Amino acid sequence: MSHISKIELEIRDLQSLKDACKKLGFQFMEGQKHYQWYGKWVGNQPLPDGINEKDLGKCDHTIHVPAAVFEIGIVRRGNAHILLWDSWVGGGLQKHIGKDAGTLKQAYAIESVKRESRRKGYRITEKKMKKGVRLSLSF
Amino acid sequence: MDSGEIKIETKGFKGKSCIEESQFLKDLLGEEKARNLVPAYYTRNKTAIRKYLPLCG
Repeated sequence: MSHISKIELEIRDLQSLKDACKKLGFQFMEGQKHYQWYGKWVGNQPLPDGINEKDLGKCDHTIHVPAAVFEIGIVRRGNAHILLWDSWVGGGLQKHIGKDAGTLKQAYAIESVKRESRRKGYRITEKKMKKGVRLSLSF
Repeated sequence: MDSGEIKIETKGFKGKSCIEESQFLKDLLGEEKARNLVPAYYTRNKTAIRKYLPLCG
């Protein structure tokens, strides 16, 4: 018997996020407390849970995408981190990080799984598929 | 790629041990929202073949 699980991704490991950034050609700006965004909340999209208008632009670390004007803020929340960014197309982020930062989150998950799997002694292979990435773990 | 979908395959496990052995991945990646038990083993020409398991959606 086996199973399929649906997981809501949480960013818990900053080192894996750094590795993901490196893999994607992004710069992880450790300790940078402000990220570039439009600078003014226009109210056209809902704010993430627990985030107020005054929180925008502030973060614990920042991800800089070389080809984009706007940046991604990394905000610690409990045992995990959330990503904050301005999705306005003029900021140039979406085409590099994917819709809802899917590309960045995928890269993070891959690096996170690879790191932990190796630590546990698994051998891991990575294969790009038509949709997504397949990671195979074996002893 | 934009969907962020990742498929993880485990090999070498039998029966319920698959759930136990994959738990570290769920703990690592976040919160499990749904779980479906499926028969992952089937026989073809008297040979047991394991299918890959998409663990992350």
